[in-house]
Amino acid sequence: MKIVLQNLTKIFPSRNKKVKDEVVAVSDFTFTIPDGKLIGLLGPSGCGKSTTLYMISGLQKPSGGKIFFGDDDVTELSAENRGVGLVFQNYALYPHMTVKQNILFPLQNLKGADKLPKEEMIERAYTAAKLVQIDNLMDRKPSELSGGQQQRVAIARALVKMPKVLLLDEPLSNLDARLRLQTREEIRRIQKETGITTIFVTHDQEEAMSISDLIVVMKLGVVQQIGAPQEVYDDPTNLFVAKFLGTPPINVFEGKVEGEKLYIGDAAVLDVPGVSDQPVTVGIRPEGFNLDPNGAFVCKLQNVEVMGRDVSIVSTNEASLNPVVRSIINADNKVEASETVTFSLKPHKVFLFSKEDESRIYF
Amino acid sequence: MSDKLNVTLHEKDLKKVSAAQKVTKAASKTLTYAFLFLIAIIVLFPFYWMIISSLKSLDEYKLSVPTLFPREILWHNYVEAFDAANLGTLFKNTVIVGVVSTLLSLVITVLSAFAFARLEFKGKNALFAALLGTMMIPGELFTITNYQTVNEFGWMDTYTVLIVPFLVSIFYIYLLRQNFLQIPNELYLAAKVDGTSDIKYLWKVMIPLALPTLISITILKMMGAWNSYMWPNLVTKSAEMELITNGLRNAYTDASGDTNFPVQMAAVAIVSAPLFLVFLFLRKYIMKGVSRSGIKG
Amino acid sequence: MVESKHKWKAWLYLAPAIILLLIFTVWPIINTLHMSVQEGFNQAQANIGVTFDYGFGNFQNVIEYDYFKDCLFNTILLCVLTVPISTILALVIAVCLNSIGPLSRFLQTIYFLPYVTNSIAIGMVFAAMFNMVGNNFGNENELVITAGIINNVIEFFGGDPINWINAGSSYWANITVMVVYIVWNALPFKILILLGGLQSVNKQYYDAAKVDGTSRFRVFSKITVPLLSPMIAYVVITGFIGGFKEYSSIVGIFGEKMGPTGDARRLNTMVGFIYDAIDTQQGRASAAALILFGIIFVVTLINLAVSKKKTHY
Repeated sequence: MKIVLQNLTKIFPSRNKKVKDEVVAVSDFTFTIPDGKLIGLLGPSGCGKSTTLYMISGLQKPSGGKIFFGDDDVTELSAENRGVGLVFQNYALYPHMTVKQNILFPLQNLKGADKLPKEEMIERAYTAAKLVQIDNLMDRKPSELSGGQQQRVAIARALVKMPKVLLLDEPLSNLDARLRLQTREEIRRIQKETGITTIFVTHDQEEAMSISDLIVVMKLGVVQQIGAPQEVYDDPTNLFVAKFLGTPPINVFEGKVEGEKLYIGDAAVLDVPGVSDQPVTVGIRPEGFNLDPNGAFVCKLQNVEVMGRDVSIVSTNEASLNPVVRSIINADNKVEASETVTFSLKPHKVFLFSKEDESRIYF
Repeated sequence: MSDKLNVTLHEKDLKKVSAAQKVTKAASKTLTYAFLFLIAIIVLFPFYWMIISSLKSLDEYKLSVPTLFPREILWHNYVEAFDAANLGTLFKNTVIVGVVSTLLSLVITVLSAFAFARLEFKGKNALFAALLGTMMIPGELFTITNYQTVNEFGWMDTYTVLIVPFLVSIFYIYLLRQNFLQIPNELYLAAKVDGTSDIKYLWKVMIPLALPTLISITILKMMGAWNSYMWPNLVTKSAEMELITNGLRNAYTDASGDTNFPVQMAAVAIVSAPLFLVFLFLRKYIMKGVSRSGIKG
Repeated sequence: MVESKHKWKAWLYLAPAIILLLIFTVWPIINTLHMSVQEGFNQAQANIGVTFDYGFGNFQNVIEYDYFKDCLFNTILLCVLTVPISTILALVIAVCLNSIGPLSRFLQTIYFLPYVTNSIAIGMVFAAMFNMVGNNFGNENELVITAGIINNVIEFFGGDPINWINAGSSYWANITVMVVYIVWNALPFKILILLGGLQSVNKQYYDAAKVDGTSRFRVFSKITVPLLSPMIAYVVITGFIGGFKEYSSIVGIFGEKMGPTGDARRLNTMVGFIYDAIDTQQGRASAAALILFGIIFVVTLINLAVSKKKTHY
């Protein structure tokens, strides 16, 4: 089922009645989430991504705008009538119930025509448990499970009622690094198998990029960019998005455009046809550098980190807005020990941003 | 997976659902408030009845259809209440006993809690466990012997007998020790290095840091003195030494056994007022103290 | 911990507490045990040299004494009635309080008021509310001047007035008044504890239940009560301990005669029984106090065992 967010806005009134300092958590969010896709809501903390999720679930009421499930306007519908599955950041498993009781709980809530016979409830609970591979833990209490197992129970509990929409709030943040990798694959697999439209919230760009069909980058309640992960990475609309995506992060420099040439420091490093003369902020992806003795971009070499497949060159440049410039090149290239290192740049990995509003300047 | 639940929202009338959900919400909210206000009225009613009755004349009080507000406000009942039961003396006694026993009790509690929290000595843990064990025993078991003991000591009908036997409260020591333990030991070591004496350290560091607990203890102890009934009733024989609660119960009944209710209610109001005032100003400490103790008086 | 060079210091700090405890806590324990096993022990007689046989006669006497059984019955009856009523009522009130936003603090303060009262003093107010002025209610020749506000309310709703606490009142009427008063008095503490417990429950459990469309009743019975079970166990245990020591609330309503005029001591309790014997029959009082201790101990153990089974984590 597709979900339509129409000018969705959430304003939290100020706590102090005298001072007017309302917080705009989400501002004018319009987006159609296609059916059966996995969507990552991405942004730093306080960007409104969780608020958006809670508004879709019905736990929070929007201050403005509308939410549609399919063609139905559900804006006024409260959570219990929306039939969504929600997995909380710390899972919210009932500590006094076994895994089985936890998973059965949503089914036992059904009333009237929707009520299921007992055998079917149990069968459904086991189906959901099998899907997340915890059917051997059904009689344990949550406190006897590892973080990853609790996570799966939470997902099973959300899936058991076969929701049209599955919402996950920071699903991986309480797991250690290894489990995180494993679990995110798992989420992808489960989503593919069930085909349920799934929205998850995360502050970890790698997580979002690796499994989402579409990512939504948010900042201070405002959507910055929506697109397929690679698309957003390759073509960020502004400096914030460029900086937020990618590990290692993008290198940022002070620069200027003069006569359709981009200068970083005094060196003209790239031709930028069609860009008028102006000071700019330059973003260069780490993979956007070529080792080139004849290149125009000279940096002071600091050290070289060998990572097997790749080599990471750490250098410094006076125009850099980061402490170091990090470039990643193929390990076949030999890096000579010397004072300086010289690069040429790959044009499609270089982004220019306006000094005024940080928006992208295309060339 | 089956799609029994995937009955789309289409099939239900969305408007109906959202209207019904609004009605349910409003109704449950109204019911909740109605219930809470009803309880509030029940809780407050005795206080209201006490106050209006205390201002009525005896004749008005006895009307077969009671008035909900006195026709004529008789402040004089309060004067009469004060005189008839010798409330002045009772107040004085209660305040003396309350203040002195609270102060002494605080000193003993602080010293003991400090010893248990910060000093190292043989048998400390065993002693502490034994003390906690005595908390299980109902006070009445001690009273029988204590009654004989104070008699033996010749303390009957003195302030001493009202103050001394209850100076030590294991519970308060326990409460304060827990609080002291939360204060990092490094502070104590630092003070020792600087040559600060134990007493000075207690006074300058521990007590200020544990002040909320001490305030809770003070209030509970004072409330205890104000409300104590059984022990004072046993050990005071003369009206001069009685505490407020004892004097209160038996006064205002004349020789024929008739009670002058308005005057009695005035006396109850007088006795209740100080506790209410304290509560009004120190609500936070009282509620915090009580939620940790669960001991009344 | 500091290895104090002056270990005597610790004992110096503890001295006042220990001396007082020895006199007023340790000695009474020993002495009570001693008195309880001397048959028919009486301090006044002991002082003039009378000796008493050792044995368990005091315990046997107390247990066989009908009046003790009455006191025990009264105590248990009040416990069994007031603890569940006040706990359930407090739980419902706490849940309601927790569900509302505005006025919650204000109402909580009101509900706490009965705690900061003198139980004898307010008992007198309750007595006045239930009291009828004029004796021998029901006798046609007797003119009842006022039936008491409670009876007025009952009459207003079309009921018949009841003789609650005056001479000739029934035992069950007396017990009803006591239950009302004790519950009124017990609510503040229980509400405070349970509300504190509710506020520490993670709100996400309720959000999760809401998303899953859980009905209010199911949320209450399947989530709130189990999560609150440690606090419920706590108020039940303290309620029982307090209930077995019930005394002053009865004095508050009935005065020291512990019963309506004409049937004094009808509502006497275990503690009252002990106090009655304190002057003249210390052996019996000691035995009764030990029995009381035993009962409280056993009931607490049972409560703990049950709550261990019922509290889930």
